[in-house]
Amino acid sequence: MAIFNFKKREIECKIVYYGPGRCGKTTNMEYIFKTFKKQVVGEMVSIDTEGDRTLFFDFLPMGLGRIKGFDIKLQVYTVPGQVQYRSTRKLVLKGVDGIIFVADSLAVRREKNMVSLKDLQHNLKEYGLNIFKIPLVMQHNKRDLAGQGFPIMSVEQMEKDLNRQLKVPSFPASAIIGQGVGTTLKECLKLTLISFRKNLKLGR
Amino acid sequence: MNIAKQIKTLLQEAELYHSQGLLDEALVKYHHAEDLIQRHEQLKNRLKLIDAVSKKIQHLKNEIQRIENAPKRPEVSAKKQDLIKKLFTLTPNMSEDASALEGAVALAKFGQFKRAILEFKALLKKDSLQVAAAKNIIRCHMALSSVDDAVAEYDQWLSENIFLPNQLQRLRTFFENVLNKEGIDKILPQIKMSADDVETIIHIPEVHHVKAQTYEDDRLKNEEVKIEDDEDLDINSIGITFDSGPLKEQVFEFKVRFQLGNVVSLLISGREKDLIEKFKVGTTINDVQYYSNIAFFNGSGLIASVKKIKIGPMRGDYCVDIEAAIS
Repeated sequence: MAIFNFKKREIECKIVYYGPGRCGKTTNMEYIFKTFKKQVVGEMVSIDTEGDRTLFFDFLPMGLGRIKGFDIKLQVYTVPGQVQYRSTRKLVLKGVDGIIFVADSLAVRREKNMVSLKDLQHNLKEYGLNIFKIPLVMQHNKRDLAGQGFPIMSVEQMEKDLNRQLKVPSFPASAIIGQGVGTTLKECLKLTLISFRKNLKLGR
Repeated sequence: MNIAKQIKTLLQEAELYHSQGLLDEALVKYHHAEDLIQRHEQLKNRLKLIDAVSKKIQHLKNEIQRIENAPKRPEVSAKKQDLIKKLFTLTPNMSEDASALEGAVALAKFGQFKRAILEFKALLKKDSLQVAAAKNIIRCHMALSSVDDAVAEYDQWLSENIFLPNQLQRLRTFFENVLNKEGIDKILPQIKMSADDVETIIHIPEVHHVKAQTYEDDRLKNEEVKIEDDEDLDINSIGITFDSGPLKEQVFEFKVRFQLGNVVSLLISGREKDLIEKFKVGTTINDVQYYSNIAFFNGSGLIASVKKIKIGPMRGDYCVDIEAAIS
């Protein structure tokens, strides 16, 4: 739920990176932090645990400048991907405006991708949100691993598994080298802002 | 593919998965390789290979164990706790006290129980929040498996002059329920009451807060403590008396359309412009009567949300959510 501050002419929105454990959510955020210096307005905070796994969330504050007289502030989060942190994922998802689902291209992670997407749908539903209506973008991450001898799924396979019904914009990516990271975030922001505009018009 | 090549491929894959932090997947590959080596006695350096792969498996198992045994919700630095409070106090336009309660609840939700207890303790001084704060203190102690600390806390409340006798009775009932649910057999210290106090308890049913932890609708499961109250009272209708503005001292009665915990939803006609104006999100109406099947109670109500209905036969009307606090 974006926060509109008409007095300060400010809109604050929340983007969440979702996906199974070790799919590259934090890597996406680290790349954004390193690369989008102009837009990053604070430190990236990671609350992680043994084995560099996200424990609670990663957080990155960003500013997108002014759009139609409003300062757009962005709070970017990642959720912990490990199955046992379901309730933390739900907490982090509260008030979300746009979601980037990071899917792991590794063939061995096929089922984990599907379980995570189902988990996202479930958690959204508990907040009264519909996965088919919320601004959502999909990223097929780790495409570079094919070159390192890993068996990876084809994009077609992943689309069939995860995006057959959703039909949301999707992008191949290699977050570790930054490929596809910016494009995915920009698309999610675009969808989120379009959604705001729609909601504002309806609210008038 | 010959066996040696198969084994080599499996070991390479295991290494790759390990490098990606996919420990279970790596373990599967190592086991598969070990199995192949054991089944093919003709392999060169077979025993050495088995030994090397076994060591890899053991190393990996230790790593998995270490991750599994790491605390699921460790206490993080004060700076990170502050950030959790700031980021997860989401309800806009709420009072400072209510915001402090939401912040403390956020800390507890993220397993920062010790800090949450400190914050809840500070809220014991606030009349409208003290029962909610006390219940959450008990919850936090229970989550920390420190039943004795929870009992000591309760004992202290008995000796201090913070709570009314009927509030203490409610806390006792609540605490006993928590202990029962956990299967803990513990006898709580008795409440010392005067004859007047007993009278008070009989005449005021246990409804001082319908559901004190108001904005908390996330049912926290498994590893998280439940930060919520569970004593709800069905409210059929409410009466509101405004203390200022053009509607001052007029009484308005509303049927409760829906109730979730202590949040009641009312429907107000879109034509009642003056009335709608009075319902500003985040403001508190001090004079509210709550009517239930048992009795009616005086209290206040925090305007939690005001939404204009956009579709259906009620289009143009407003749905107003009020968080009830009965005194």
